[in-house]
Amino acid sequence: MTGLLKKIYEPALWFAGLLVLWEVLVWAFQVQSFVLPAPSEFLVRIVEDYERLLVQGAITSKLIVYGFVAGALPGVVLGYLIASFRMCERLLYPLVVFIQGLPKITLAPLLLVWFGFSDFPKILLTSLITFFPVLVDSVAGFKSMDHRHYYLSRSMGASWWQTFRLFQLPSAAQNIFSGFKITIVIAVTVVIVVEWLNSNNGLGYVVLRAMDANDTPLIFAVLVVASTIGVLMNYGIVVLESILLPWRRSGEDNA
Amino acid sequence: MSGGTGASIQGRGITKIFGKGEDAHHALGPIDLDIKPGEFVSLIGPSGCGKSTTMLLVAGLEKASAGVIEIDGTPLTAPLSEVGIVFQDHLLLEFRNAIRNVMLQQEIRRLDKKIMRARADLLFAKLGLTGTENRYPWQLSGGMRQRVSIARALVHEPTMLLMDEPFGALDAISRTQIRHDLEMLWLETRKTVLFITHSIEEAVGLSDRVLVMSNSPGRIVDDIRIDLPRPRPAHLGDYPDFAQYAQRVYGTFEKLGVYRFK
Repeated sequence: MTGLLKKIYEPALWFAGLLVLWEVLVWAFQVQSFVLPAPSEFLVRIVEDYERLLVQGAITSKLIVYGFVAGALPGVVLGYLIASFRMCERLLYPLVVFIQGLPKITLAPLLLVWFGFSDFPKILLTSLITFFPVLVDSVAGFKSMDHRHYYLSRSMGASWWQTFRLFQLPSAAQNIFSGFKITIVIAVTVVIVVEWLNSNNGLGYVVLRAMDANDTPLIFAVLVVASTIGVLMNYGIVVLESILLPWRRSGEDNA
Repeated sequence: MSGGTGASIQGRGITKIFGKGEDAHHALGPIDLDIKPGEFVSLIGPSGCGKSTTMLLVAGLEKASAGVIEIDGTPLTAPLSEVGIVFQDHLLLEFRNAIRNVMLQQEIRRLDKKIMRARADLLFAKLGLTGTENRYPWQLSGGMRQRVSIARALVHEPTMLLMDEPFGALDAISRTQIRHDLEMLWLETRKTVLFITHSIEEAVGLSDRVLVMSNSPGRIVDDIRIDLPRPRPAHLGDYPDFAQYAQRVYGTFEKLGVYRFK
């Protein structure tokens, strides 16, 4: 427990120190609030506006989760197919590489034209962007299995499902989860950017309104809320990993 | 069933060619195999001579390009089920602890859990693994991991044990001990063992017969019956005959050009 406490309080102390420095510098140089607000100002703003931030944050969070799931699950499935079947690799991989090279965020205006003012284009774009990193990590994960494990599973008479469940999926799980952890944070950014482009709610929309009103403290307040969402989602994946892959957790305890 | 638990292996003209046309690589054969039930036979030969391929062919995990393999008189057409395989690397699943790695056989083959667990416990005891049941592979030494892998290959009581350089990655001291432990297990159950090795000492030390293979494409160039009493000691030099057997293998390798000492 003391280890955990140390893990938390050292970075927290360091972080608080930076905020104090920021506060002092803003005060010393008389920086105007709409250029760079002092931490005290936007932290107070979070407290004052907590209801709005909470409601809009929840809307954004929902989109992040939907978009992430809609991108990550097909990423794992396609990763399995590409890693397992030479034909899928030949047919799909060139296409995948091409689409991966495409700066997908530029599709945002197009998707908005096609699908309009709903959640759908936001979820679609988020899923498109989360799909590829997860796919790449899944392919690497499924390919990492020693081919002699297939010999073993076949000599044991394992069915396709048994081979997948007992050998392949657990072997790939570590790579898949490292893909998830990176991707969930990207998803946060994507949703906010898309909301910013065209929306009437969500954290991105709050930023847009704050810019119009020269309300820089509110932008910073959203920034804090958005990064908190990112950290929490990332932590959620870490917790999920430690539940689903308990051998990793026990590994760390004894290391 | 004791004494009759081993399978016989018969092979005629076994040949393996990888690839086609100009890229074709003649890896093995033709070789004949004649292994009696319960016999401990080693295949020894230089790297790339097709020893491992032979083992995979006998397991039915690769198809021969030509020739027939019969197990207990039945031609092999699909992966052999009544078999345990040990590779040079332990190939334990890193996400399962030792006992669950062994019980993988029970899970996949859908065998009775209680009976299998009792067998696994017994094997753990005989292999000096008691107390390691709940440890993950990374928490075990190299020798321990290979012992777990042997337990996994035996827990379903197969009629045949196929081992591909199983002690190749171990240090000399562990190797001597695990060789003895394997011999004791084999003496009890008399499964047919096909043991692939680079080590002359290991081959002569463990086997009833040593088959010596030539460079690629591998053929069997010598078939040596090892008449040494069992169980054999740690220091095989205690047997005057050991040196003669070993000398015969060295001699064959020199004749084949595997060794070029000046």
